[in-house]
Amino acid sequence: MKNKFVSSMLFYLLVAVIALVVLFPFLWMLSSSFKTQVDITAWPPKLFFVPTLQNYRKVFEEQDFLKYFMNSTIVGAVSVGLSLVLGLPAAYSISRYAQNKLAVFILLARLMPGISFLMPWYIIFSRLGLMDSYVALILSHMLISLPIVVWIMSTYFSTIPRELEESAMVDGATRQYAFLRIILPLCGPGIITAMTLSFIFSWNNFMFSQVLSMEKTKTLPIAVYNFISYAEVDWGGVMAAAVAIMAPAILLTMVFQRYVVKGLTMGAVKG
Amino acid sequence: MRNKLSKTLLALSSLCISAGAAAQSGEIRVLLANHPYGDLLKQSIPQFEKSTGIKVNVESLQESQLTQKLTTEFATKSSTVDVFMTRPLQEGKMFAKNGWYAPLTGYDFADYPKNIMNAASFGGKPYIVPLVTEWQVLYYRKDLLQQAGLKVPANFDELEAAAKKLNSESVAGFASRGKGAAAVTQLSSYVYNYGGQYLDKGTAVFNSKAALDATRFYGRLLGSYGPKGVTSMSWENIMPLFQAGKVAMWTDASVFYGQIVDPSKTQIPVENFAIANFPAGPKTNAPFIVSSWGVAVASQSKKPDMAIKFLDWASSKEMAIKGMMGNITMARSSVWDEPVVRSKMNPGLIATRAFAAKNGTPVDRPYMSAVGEARDLIGELIIESINTKGTSANVEKMAKEKVDRVNELLKDSGEFGK
Amino acid sequence: MTRSSFAERNLRILFPLPAIIFIAALMVFPVLYTLYLSFSNWNLTSGMPAEFVGVGSYVRVLAEPRFLHALGRTFTFTVFAVAIEAFLGVTIAIILNRAFFGKSVAKLLLLLPLVATPVAVGIVFNLFYDPTIGLLNFALDALGFPQGRWVSSEKTVLMSLILVDVWQWTPMITLIVLAGLAGLSEEPTEAARVDGASEWQILRYVTIPLVMPVILTAMILRLIDALKTFDIIFAMTGGGPGYASETLNIMGFKYSFEYFRMGQASVILVVLFLVVLLCSLGIMKLRAASEL
Repeated sequence: MKNKFVSSMLFYLLVAVIALVVLFPFLWMLSSSFKTQVDITAWPPKLFFVPTLQNYRKVFEEQDFLKYFMNSTIVGAVSVGLSLVLGLPAAYSISRYAQNKLAVFILLARLMPGISFLMPWYIIFSRLGLMDSYVALILSHMLISLPIVVWIMSTYFSTIPRELEESAMVDGATRQYAFLRIILPLCGPGIITAMTLSFIFSWNNFMFSQVLSMEKTKTLPIAVYNFISYAEVDWGGVMAAAVAIMAPAILLTMVFQRYVVKGLTMGAVKG
Repeated sequence: MRNKLSKTLLALSSLCISAGAAAQSGEIRVLLANHPYGDLLKQSIPQFEKSTGIKVNVESLQESQLTQKLTTEFATKSSTVDVFMTRPLQEGKMFAKNGWYAPLTGYDFADYPKNIMNAASFGGKPYIVPLVTEWQVLYYRKDLLQQAGLKVPANFDELEAAAKKLNSESVAGFASRGKGAAAVTQLSSYVYNYGGQYLDKGTAVFNSKAALDATRFYGRLLGSYGPKGVTSMSWENIMPLFQAGKVAMWTDASVFYGQIVDPSKTQIPVENFAIANFPAGPKTNAPFIVSSWGVAVASQSKKPDMAIKFLDWASSKEMAIKGMMGNITMARSSVWDEPVVRSKMNPGLIATRAFAAKNGTPVDRPYMSAVGEARDLIGELIIESINTKGTSANVEKMAKEKVDRVNELLKDSGEFGK
Repeated sequence: MTRSSFAERNLRILFPLPAIIFIAALMVFPVLYTLYLSFSNWNLTSGMPAEFVGVGSYVRVLAEPRFLHALGRTFTFTVFAVAIEAFLGVTIAIILNRAFFGKSVAKLLLLLPLVATPVAVGIVFNLFYDPTIGLLNFALDALGFPQGRWVSSEKTVLMSLILVDVWQWTPMITLIVLAGLAGLSEEPTEAARVDGASEWQILRYVTIPLVMPVILTAMILRLIDALKTFDIIFAMTGGGPGYASETLNIMGFKYSFEYFRMGQASVILVVLFLVVLLCSLGIMKLRAASEL
């Protein structure tokens, strides 16, 4: 009895320590976002201070935060969505037909250093007149998400026994149907993870977004750089912008996760 | 019924008018830097749009990203940029060489100092309109100097003595950039004041005795009295130290003065911060005074007439005066004499600028196309000097090595000996 | 048995086809372009157009000591970072792999380092690491430990950067492995328990081998990204002090957008690509072996 309590306490202590280490820099960012410039660089470091909202005011009023937010959300949601549509069937195929070469081919996209895409893509997209639209951004972000989806899900599919769809096929279902209605619903955790990571990568992507976007399609990470000027680093502004970028990302992943789980279980075959 | 008809007619006609106006006035794409003047332009764009009917599609980027984006667009010949802010001394030569600037032969450059125009012209023709200037100064803590009974250093000997006296466990006596390439611009004034240069007639000469003496001096000062880890510090690392009261004296560009004396940004009461002329060296006192940013029209622009209109407006005397009133140090000479400006602007900036304008050197780095690489090479030399407090036996050999490599760079880009 | 449709018979092609087309379409031109540039001497500072020079640029770059150092550093950084992240990531996943009060909150909190904008993380850690006014030295000093130079010294910069990378990316491994653990069936562990195995033995001989493919998948993804680490290093040190933290990707960026030597930059990028490819293939062989 006592043993269980003690080990329970130890467990929570461990979790707390991990949480603290993981969170500490973020907590510092959060507190700094409410500090004035003076307080952030204060020496000795200030634990207690008078909080201010001026940094957030700058982020939301002086920066076009709403526009960046809309753009990041649209680009993120569409690119992740399309990556799932293209990636889930591909991952399934790789898993069931042991198409390892295909897996490597898809992974190739992630192997190339991002810089090597900038100029060639710029040429293509501007010649096609796609520069001032979301298309260029969405396609470039998909190139990052698709390999993640395929790689995580192909491994995940491999842990699901083949008997499941095979028994359904014996009963007359096509393999496609079995894939959609039987296998996919079982993959909730895997899909959610792949989707979350892809969305995060898209949300924080700076390099592609900066070169392939124009004024109308600028995404959130730009907001952070707007506080880094030629002769000044607005520490408070940077921190507030960073926090303001992180919060919606987490909220959106929560929303999408719930949506995905609902969508999957709705298609599940009962029994 | 009539109402509906008239409403429709009104809508149709205003559509036609605006379409016509759009065809006449059109839209231009402008790239600005994250810079106080860039911010000012951005805020003032609605007025420009109103008075000219030209719609401005503006983006502002941090300086290295601006270069990256412009290079990507221009080098792939797929750019839609019309007007952009540019750094004459950093990318100017390279951009001009590749024909990315449109010549500005119709513009009146009389209001700009001749030597600054030299850096904005290539092959005798002007391509950039200088916007802002900066020059090297000495920032110092009045209170600390007073307490130690020191007067403001007027030459390098006094500077070193003061740094030594003011250096303590909790306060670094002296600070300046030590981060390789970033430090090259700050070292330049030291080199000039010893009588040396980075380049002379297209040849690298920073291994001359004068330049090496300056490099050793710089290394000795920073290595002995500089903050910990100074070899990875640029202005953005030194500034918070200075504002937190951990540094007694700091040489850097004039452009940081505004933040140092801003009470919302520093912990030390602002009366204790002051600015002074850069100290003299053994040979002379000729600190750099350069145009850090200018504005140019893209040669690939399909709307050069509208682009020029924007350029004219952005570099106009009216905008320049607005900038000066916000303590942005502009390049136009006449605005420095405007009474309304002189009454508002920081007297320290006015005084140090007058000094630098009279005696200063118009470049702060090796002026060449491959300046990025050259700065990294010279930066290695600076770091070596700082790490050994100026005493390294390796300095001559290393400098010769770097000089050879820079000469190679000059040869590769066809600028050697010119 | 119904007659299978065309679609069903060719599923192995139809399912992956859209993905293949997409990747090919977006990648063909960049790959060819980069390869072409690497065989050229295109240098924007010369103002001359690109000329084909065969392996000329390769020779120039590969012979440079700076390049070889960057190559070495890329490996050092990656090996240490991924090893630490894998160890910590799997450990934390195992610890968190049980139902407990606040588990979903914990998983959400784990996302935070991943979501943090790299440039902001870089600035925060730079301030932490500052030798004079940084929080880290302040805390160490208060606890009586010696202070360090962290990113300001050639000797410690790489380790300091690795620590930041570990902070930011360990959660990624944890999340992937947690999902894998959640997908494991209970039977093997139950059977082992019934057979009298201790928790530790179950962990070592049942759980970990079963989830190893997932662990290796996470490591492959992490390995690829670690070899190409850019944001953190660029934001914090720019490759410095001197070149002490310059990895291949950073060097490629500098050669492209600071030196404007496009041809040689492409060589660096091609080499980086090959390095990443070879390392990935290596780990994939390991993963195939563990699935047997």
